[in-house]
Amino acid sequence: MRGATPVLELLMAEADDSSALDIVAALSLRLMPGECIVIEAADEAELDAFADLCCGLIPLRAGRVRCLGHDWTDLSHIYAAALRARVGRMFADDTGLPFLDAETNILLPQLHHTNRARDELRAAATALAEEFGLPGLPQGRLSDLAPTDVVRAMLVRAMLSEPTLLFLHEVAPTLRPAILNRVVAMLDRGGAVVWLIEDRAARDLHRYAATQWLRLAEQGLAPTRPTR
Amino acid sequence: MSRSASFDPARSGDEWRFFATVGRAARSRAGFALTVLACGLGVFRELLRPASWHRPVRAELRRSLSQAVGGGLVTTIVAGGLVGIAMVYEALFWLGEVGEERLVGSILVSVLVREVAPVLVGLILLGRSGAATAEMSELHPGHQLDSLNRQGIDPFLLLVLPRAVAFAIASYTLGVVFVATALTVGFTAGRVGGNVVMSSWEFSSTVLGAMRPADFVIFPSKMLAIGMLVAITSVLTGLEGSGRDRASDRLPRTFTRGTLAIMVTSLVLSLTI
Repeated sequence: MRGATPVLELLMAEADDSSALDIVAALSLRLMPGECIVIEAADEAELDAFADLCCGLIPLRAGRVRCLGHDWTDLSHIYAAALRARVGRMFADDTGLPFLDAETNILLPQLHHTNRARDELRAAATALAEEFGLPGLPQGRLSDLAPTDVVRAMLVRAMLSEPTLLFLHEVAPTLRPAILNRVVAMLDRGGAVVWLIEDRAARDLHRYAATQWLRLAEQGLAPTRPTR
Repeated sequence: MSRSASFDPARSGDEWRFFATVGRAARSRAGFALTVLACGLGVFRELLRPASWHRPVRAELRRSLSQAVGGGLVTTIVAGGLVGIAMVYEALFWLGEVGEERLVGSILVSVLVREVAPVLVGLILLGRSGAATAEMSELHPGHQLDSLNRQGIDPFLLLVLPRAVAFAIASYTLGVVFVATALTVGFTAGRVGGNVVMSSWEFSSTVLGAMRPADFVIFPSKMLAIGMLVAITSVLTGLEGSGRDRASDRLPRTFTRGTLAIMVTSLVLSLTI
C-alpha cells in the first residue's frame, strides 16, 4: 500500500551483545499492512528473542526498530508499554500468572491497557475461545488446563485486542483453520502477522497464509525459497 | 622497611582471596538492602501517579489488602489483648503501687505506641507476607516476568506496588487496632482487678496528653514504612533465584530479612524523629 506506514521496520538493527538474541549480523525487515511472513529459526528461544527485538525489549548496539512508525528508543517506557498493547503475542511455554485465575490471565492485557468493561471483554473472549475450540472462557487456574487448552487460552489473549501486529508460534493442526480465519481477517484490516516457526523441512506458505519465508541465522534474515 | 620489601607475592594471593570472599558476602547483603530501598523509592514515585493505577493493579491492591488486614486482624486483636495485660495492666498496677499514676501516659506512649506496636504488628504482617513470597516464588524470571513485559505490563506496577501499598495501609490499620486493644484490655483488667481508680476518660486523657507532636509523626511513619518494607522484602525474596527453589526454601529468608527490616526501620525512625 503506497504511502502506508510500515507495521514493522528493522533498519540494520544489531542486538546488544548481552541480549538473548544470539545474532551478530544487522537485521533488516519491512512489514507493510496486510503482509504475513514466516520467520524460521533453530529454536523457540531464538524466535522469542527476535520477537522481543521487534517489540523494543532488546537493547540495540546499532540500527533502529520501528513499530507502527514509532522508534522504540524514542518512546518513554509508558508509551512503549502502551504500544506493545497493540502487538498480539503468543509465547513458547506461556503459563500465565499462577496466582491469577484463567479468566483474569486471558483478560489481563485488555484490563490493563483499556477502559473496556469487564463484561464486554469477557463476552468477546468467550466468543474467541469458542472459535478456538474451547467450550467457553476457562474457569479455575491455567495450570488445571490441558497443555493444548492453555495454548488456546493464550491465543484468545493475543487476539482479544484485535492487534495490528501479531506474532504466532506453530499450533496444532486442529487449531490452524480457526487461526487462519483470524489471520486473514486481520490482514484484511491492515494488520500484519509474523509466524515464528522452528526449522522445517517442508516450507509451505499456504499453510500459514504467508507471502514470504525468511530464515533467521547468524548471518541475519535471509529469504528462503518455499518448498511449495 | 620499604613497602615493596614487605610485599610477598606468594602470600598476597591468599590475602586478596580472603578480602574478595568477605567483600563478595558484604556486597550481596548490601545489594539486597539497596534493592529494597530502590523499590521503596519506586513505590513512592509510582504511588502518586494516577497512570500507575490500572485496573489489574487496583485489583491486586484490593486482594493484598484483604489478605493482610483480613488475615491479620484476629491475630492483632489477640496480641493486643495479651500485651494489654502484660504491659498496660502491669504499668497501671505498679505505678499505682508507688503513687506515680501520672507517669502511665508517658510510659505507655514511649514504650507501647512508639516501640512495641510497630515491631509486633510488623512481625504479624511478616507472617501474612509468606503468601506473597509463595506467589512470587512460582514466577520464573525467564517466563512469567518476561511475559508481562511482552504484554506491555510493568511487573513492578503489578507485583510490587499494590502489595507495598496494601501492606503499608494494613500495617497502619492493624497498628491502631493493636494499640486500642492493648489500652482497652489493660485498663479493663485494671478496673476489674480493682487496681485502677481513674475513669476511662481520665485514662484516655492521660495517654493522649502524653503524646507529643513527634509521636503523631513517628507512629504513622513507622507503621507505613514497616508495612511497605515487609511487603517489598517478601516480594523480592520470592522473585530472586532461578525458580528452582521452592517457597519453603525462601520463606525462612523472607522472615529473617523482614525481621531485620522491621528492627532497623524502627530504630532509625526512633532515633531520627
